[in-house]
Amino acid sequence: MRHWNGRRAALALLLLALLVLCAVTAAGCLLGEQAMVTDFSRKNLSPCGAFLFGTDWMGRDMLARTLTGLSLSIRIGLLTAGVSAVLALVLGLASALGGWVDSVVSWCIDLVMGIPHILLVMLISLAFGKGFVGVVAGVALSHWPSLARVIRGEVLQLKGATYVRTAEKLGVSRLQIARRHFLPHLLPQFLTGLVLQFPHAILHEASVTFLGFGLSSEQPAIGVILSESMNYLTTGKWWLAVFPGLSLVLVVVLFAAMGEQLRKLLDPASVHR
Amino acid sequence: MKRILPLLLAFALLAGCGGGTPAATPSAAQKTDSVVIAMGPTSEPEAGFDPAYGWGAGEHVHEPLIQSTLTVTNTDLTIGYDLATDVQVSDDGLTWTVTIRDDVKFTDGEPLTAADVAFTYNTVKAASSVNDFTMLDSAEAVDSTTVVFHMATPNSIWPYTMAIVGIVPEHAYDPATYGSNPIGSGRYILKQWDKGQQVILEANPDYYGEAPQMKQVTILFMEEDAAFLAVQAGQVDLAYTSATYSDQSPAGYSLASYESVDNRGFNLPVIEGALTGDVLVRRAINVGIDRQEMIDNVLNGYGTPAYSVCDGLPWYSPDSEVAYDPEGAAALLDQAGWTMGTDGVREKDGVKAALELLYPTGDSVRQALCADFANQLGELGISCTMEGVGWDTAYDRALTQPLIWGWGAHTPMELYNIYHTIGETGTAQYSPYANSTVDSYMDQALACSDLEESYTLWQKAQWDGTTGVTQEGDIPWVWLVNVSHLYWVRDGLQVAEQKIHPHGHGWSVVNNVDQWSWG
Repeated sequence: MRHWNGRRAALALLLLALLVLCAVTAAGCLLGEQAMVTDFSRKNLSPCGAFLFGTDWMGRDMLARTLTGLSLSIRIGLLTAGVSAVLALVLGLASALGGWVDSVVSWCIDLVMGIPHILLVMLISLAFGKGFVGVVAGVALSHWPSLARVIRGEVLQLKGATYVRTAEKLGVSRLQIARRHFLPHLLPQFLTGLVLQFPHAILHEASVTFLGFGLSSEQPAIGVILSESMNYLTTGKWWLAVFPGLSLVLVVVLFAAMGEQLRKLLDPASVHR
Repeated sequence: MKRILPLLLAFALLAGCGGGTPAATPSAAQKTDSVVIAMGPTSEPEAGFDPAYGWGAGEHVHEPLIQSTLTVTNTDLTIGYDLATDVQVSDDGLTWTVTIRDDVKFTDGEPLTAADVAFTYNTVKAASSVNDFTMLDSAEAVDSTTVVFHMATPNSIWPYTMAIVGIVPEHAYDPATYGSNPIGSGRYILKQWDKGQQVILEANPDYYGEAPQMKQVTILFMEEDAAFLAVQAGQVDLAYTSATYSDQSPAGYSLASYESVDNRGFNLPVIEGALTGDVLVRRAINVGIDRQEMIDNVLNGYGTPAYSVCDGLPWYSPDSEVAYDPEGAAALLDQAGWTMGTDGVREKDGVKAALELLYPTGDSVRQALCADFANQLGELGISCTMEGVGWDTAYDRALTQPLIWGWGAHTPMELYNIYHTIGETGTAQYSPYANSTVDSYMDQALACSDLEESYTLWQKAQWDGTTGVTQEGDIPWVWLVNVSHLYWVRDGLQVAEQKIHPHGHGWSVVNNVDQWSWG
């Protein structure tokens, strides 16, 4: 492995994380049916060969439920992180127009960042009637500001760059400038930001569901699993919380690692490592 | 060191959790006349101890303890007297005359007179948002010991309403403050109320009846898991619990199970064209459900099969009971035209037999009952999906979909609320259903001037030999189980005989706390 440089290692790690996450997502999709099956003849089993994560008070297979829950979380994360990253990109680019547009955008960023995150997610989710729609709306509409702020900063810096101003003087249209000069420069920030939004989105989806403002309780979501497990912890059914909780942490760590490796690959400063 | 410290702390915590030896049960031996009880946080009366705002009445009925009532319900749920010495009703059922004791004083020393009774009823009629007092026109004190109720409509079960309305003093009643500073004439005085935490009751030294044996009753409001931890730590004498914890065995305590009419059941909306619109399907569901299996699976055996909303009460019709008969259920479904498909799901004219069942989100017992119900229906060939709903939308959705409900009260009015059509809609309130014969029996029962006779009419409303709401009738609701109420009771505490508990796992247990003892 000595001939592996930093970039190759980063790429390998990135692919590995991606592979694991894809596998979890796929497994969850396939186990969806099984996760809903209740069988009272096997209730409250502690982890064993047949049920690696044990079963709950309705005899549901916790492994299947956890995987389905994670898969659901990842897919919701994909959707919400995508939506909020695009939102951030559009708003960030819009602030290049300067003047009142920029003022409105920065005001919006300040406004949304000023409200405690989880509170905002809860409020939006409630307003959208909870459930799947509520969670997606809540998480998507509350995660864009920090990325939007980064992009806006970059855009403002670019606007002052000589080559951009030259292009402007040469009469290149604004749209062209945005496409030819801004986008390529912003892409690394955007991609890294996008991936780094996943862990946030997933954790917030889980927490808002845990608090009862998110996905409905018949869904095998991680938040639901964890909040249900609370009732059983005092009677010693630790496996209901420990394995799903650890799995959630693992997924979040994998996403964070992916983001980090992606940044390493895209960051020009690290190109020679 | 900075890194080691949290680690050490974590170990200390773990060690703390691991120590299974219960803390020495403090003061258990010295206790003679005080008791500490843990109840759920929802048992704390939001508006305080004011009968006009739901204390004792409302969804979860119990004796108000701090106030006296005119009547009481006996252990067999017939009517006895508290303040009342005699209750008479006119033949048209529109005038109730109640004479009361003349030796009763409020805890501020003022005597309790018929004027206070009349004042109380006129107040609750005007103010109560949790109870229906539309049958009462007005209450009037004729002399100091006689009160006359002028009814708007005949109401034979008025004594059951009189059993839950605590009498408040006219001279010291201010709706703004009474809830937190109640003055009554009951067995106990509110000594202290720390909102969100505890209520301390002390025996009323001037009580007109038998002096309470428990001089001090402390009620702590805590979640189920906290209540269990309090039991393990020996901090409470009696704590509510559920089947989830029933396999535990905290040292120094035993599990007490009290029968209830705290039932769970599904409404089966009677809608033309829907699966549950066919009476044969509803009958098949009613006999195709193995209730005992449900009790064993979900309630760890702590429950009784339910066949009606009022099992075991004086107005219960034994005709409601059915035997588990899966073959019979299958035959009924065949007869209805729902034939078994190759995939194990019945179909009729190309339509699959499917139900979407609703349960209130956050209620794990109802969720599990719903799941078991779905599994059992699946075996009959009806495929079911489940959805958790909040109460904000549940009532509306139950008008078209089966929802798992919990009922059970110490009044036949519940039959009326569930099966009788209301207003101009021509259908029952909670789930679409109408049967004019059932309606007329209940109307007659309410109009009846004799309580005993009204019981018979309530029973006929359930099944009169040709029609009703039972298996051979319309069966618009299927009743599954009565959830027994479970408590951890400290060894040595003698809990007096309980009357069958109504819906709501709260104050019912302390109805007779004055008769509890240590021994």
